[in-house]
Amino acid sequence: MTTRYSRFLSAFFCLFLAGLLAWHVVLPDRERSSVENRTLAQFPEFSWKTLKDGSFTRGVEDYFADQFPLRDQWTGLKARTEQLLGKREFNGVYLCGHSLVSKVAPPQDGLEEKNLGYVSRLAGKAGVPVYLGLIPSAAEIHRDRLPKGAESWDQAAFIARGAELEGVEPIDFLTPLAAHAGEDIFYRTDHHWTTLGAYYGYAALMEALGRGEEALGQETFERLTVPHSDAFQGTLYSQSGIHWLPPDSIEFWVPDEGFEVASWRDGSPKKAALYDLAKLQTKDKYSAFLGGNQPLCVIKNPEGTGKLLVIRDSYADSMAPFLALHFKEVHLLDPRYYRYSAAKYAEENGLDAIAVVYSVPNFITDRNLVLLIQ
Amino acid sequence: MVFSSLTFLFGYLPLTLALYFLTPLRRRNFVLLAASLFFYGWGEPVYVGVMFLSVFIDYTHGLLVERFRQRDRLARWFVGQSVVFNLLLLGFFKYWDFLAANLSLLPGVSVPQLGLPLPLGISFFTFQTMSYTIDVYRRDAPVQRNVIDFGAYVTLFPQLIAGPIVKYKTVAAELVHRTVTSRDFAEGACRFTAGLAKKVLLANAAGALWESCQASQNAGALTVAGGWTGLFAFGFQIYFDFSGYSDMAVGLGRILGFRFDENFDHPYLSTSVGEFWRRWHMSLTSWFREYLYFPLGGSRAGRARTLRNLLVVWFCTGFWHGASWNFILWGLYFGLWIILERFVFQGLLSRTPVWVKRVYTLLVVFVGWGIFAMEDLGVCGRYLAVCFGGGPLWSAPDGYRLRSWALILLLLALGSTTLAADLWKKVPEQGRRVLAPVLMALGLIVSTAYLVDGSYNPFLYFRF
Repeated sequence: MTTRYSRFLSAFFCLFLAGLLAWHVVLPDRERSSVENRTLAQFPEFSWKTLKDGSFTRGVEDYFADQFPLRDQWTGLKARTEQLLGKREFNGVYLCGHSLVSKVAPPQDGLEEKNLGYVSRLAGKAGVPVYLGLIPSAAEIHRDRLPKGAESWDQAAFIARGAELEGVEPIDFLTPLAAHAGEDIFYRTDHHWTTLGAYYGYAALMEALGRGEEALGQETFERLTVPHSDAFQGTLYSQSGIHWLPPDSIEFWVPDEGFEVASWRDGSPKKAALYDLAKLQTKDKYSAFLGGNQPLCVIKNPEGTGKLLVIRDSYADSMAPFLALHFKEVHLLDPRYYRYSAAKYAEENGLDAIAVVYSVPNFITDRNLVLLIQ
Repeated sequence: MVFSSLTFLFGYLPLTLALYFLTPLRRRNFVLLAASLFFYGWGEPVYVGVMFLSVFIDYTHGLLVERFRQRDRLARWFVGQSVVFNLLLLGFFKYWDFLAANLSLLPGVSVPQLGLPLPLGISFFTFQTMSYTIDVYRRDAPVQRNVIDFGAYVTLFPQLIAGPIVKYKTVAAELVHRTVTSRDFAEGACRFTAGLAKKVLLANAAGALWESCQASQNAGALTVAGGWTGLFAFGFQIYFDFSGYSDMAVGLGRILGFRFDENFDHPYLSTSVGEFWRRWHMSLTSWFREYLYFPLGGSRAGRARTLRNLLVVWFCTGFWHGASWNFILWGLYFGLWIILERFVFQGLLSRTPVWVKRVYTLLVVFVGWGIFAMEDLGVCGRYLAVCFGGGPLWSAPDGYRLRSWALILLLLALGSTTLAADLWKKVPEQGRRVLAPVLMALGLIVSTAYLVDGSYNPFLYFRF
């Protein structure tokens, strides 16, 4: 190694390290990452106490990683490298042809059985019929598309367990979704079901409630033209780092006319709509349905009949517009944010039925369902 | 802070290097000491005190040994005191809870467990400082009268938390006078990058495979194929992790002007268990040989004494790796194989073809990794039972795993041999000049991508 060449190599090494450091320092800090759909760590405040317990230095490390320059490009590069190495699984997401499917890990600490128990106990104390609808995720419906031998927890078996639950009426989402597995019922880059998937879900729910004949046929709906509803890159796009798949587009079937929507985000009702189309201009486009996660949302339709309480996760957001067509009132309650007794809520608001509608991956990991027995 | 973190690579390292090289030569040990203490305090602010104490005690004991050299009994007494102090420090922080838990199993005994976090790298720096007083006493190294120079040796951040164990005599001269040529810097940077890539790209990939096999076991679905995949995955993980870390340490040392001894020499090519240990974590093996096995009499005092000495050394080697029964068992397991090789197989091994000896060594070593990796001896026993036929041969997830990791396993296997180094030598000088920066850029960029995504980047040495 000649001196000149050594200097060149050394300079190259130093420039890489110092260059990224300088870039990091110059780059303004971001509040949140739209690609990852989360708030990013900020520089922690210094105090002797946080220094002593180690939380200060940990905070700096989080800050450093979260605000790293070109963060999204780095994660994309990693996914590409993994693919080159023959991997089919990227941070818990399987790449199946042109779509991404989230792997479902086995539940921990028997949480799945506990949660079934809570639903059962809710049925025991609520004065109205309780329904349980467990929505299988793409990993179950598209099991045949997973890489050969790839594991994903058996959701069908669990759904069958849920259907046997005493005192609870089942809503069978699995059969219709499996029957239409060949259609685009799940987004390719997001873990949610598409509007088509939600439509099949809605038909199944009406069926279970004994109002199957009311459910409208697919052909009655027109696909509404909504600007910015394409180019949807969902949660799996972010989680996997796979950025090279064609984006999804979101469909809207039910026209937002004649409904009264109240969104409870901070303890008081705010007028809202079935769709918050401004969300289509952000990364988190799925939030366009009802405006995204919220503790409680009430949709009223003067022409509908019956009052339904849906205890739900975000899958219900895209199903709610269909339900709104038939019910006088649909109350959507998310136990992750709404901390009040479901049975009492149903009683106080004169609701006729409670439907617990959850995707299996959320149901087996949600630690808030204990609220159901309050 | 660990080397394979963004904060180290793009924060600490460039700033420290800039400060170090802007400082005049004679002040550099001070910068090194301050920077190393900062490095140490980053993860364990409270334990910087332990570090100061350690530096202070060993520094004064070095002086005392030198001062009373003429009165041998007194000098020996001070050496002993320093050894006892270091062992107490190590014993208290690392072994107290283990001893307390086991003593409390005795009827009528109850010793409280403290649950203190382990000061990072305590197993490494206590061994280093012990070597110092012993070396001074043995006249293998000159006494260090400058507390800053001595402190810089003890806290030297490249090898502080995961070795190699640098004996004082190795760096005594460089501590006082060292030069860094641009060639040292460049070669150090290449070595560091290679180590980083080994750790971040290869070791972590192997680790994920090992976790997947463990998950199979937890789900009660482990097969013979999965069991062996897991053992090999873990063996590769620990080798690439540890040797990658050593490469980074050696590389950083070069950049700062130190030449540390090598810590690994392609151990998985060994043709006997004894040879494996001469090529694996060499700084630890040689430490035990020099400061424990030889003082005990080594193999010069008859068969019975040799046997005893070997058992003592291998018990200590195992126990050094962690305060848990499986590590003791792991150490004794190797002690047993080494005794067998020495007293029983010797003739047999000399007549065996090389490839058979390699397979035999790998089997012994990788089964050993099973004992090392699984702290719960019940879990470990069941796992190894499956490996040796106590379960189905094969299942669909094994196929998925092997397909997903096939290329990585190939890279791991080839990376354990001398192939890359041999190929590199065959490349003509001109080609190497082009390839070196390309490989360095590739290593740095891809490693950075994996660190930014960093969902899986375990630090294996938290218990050493």
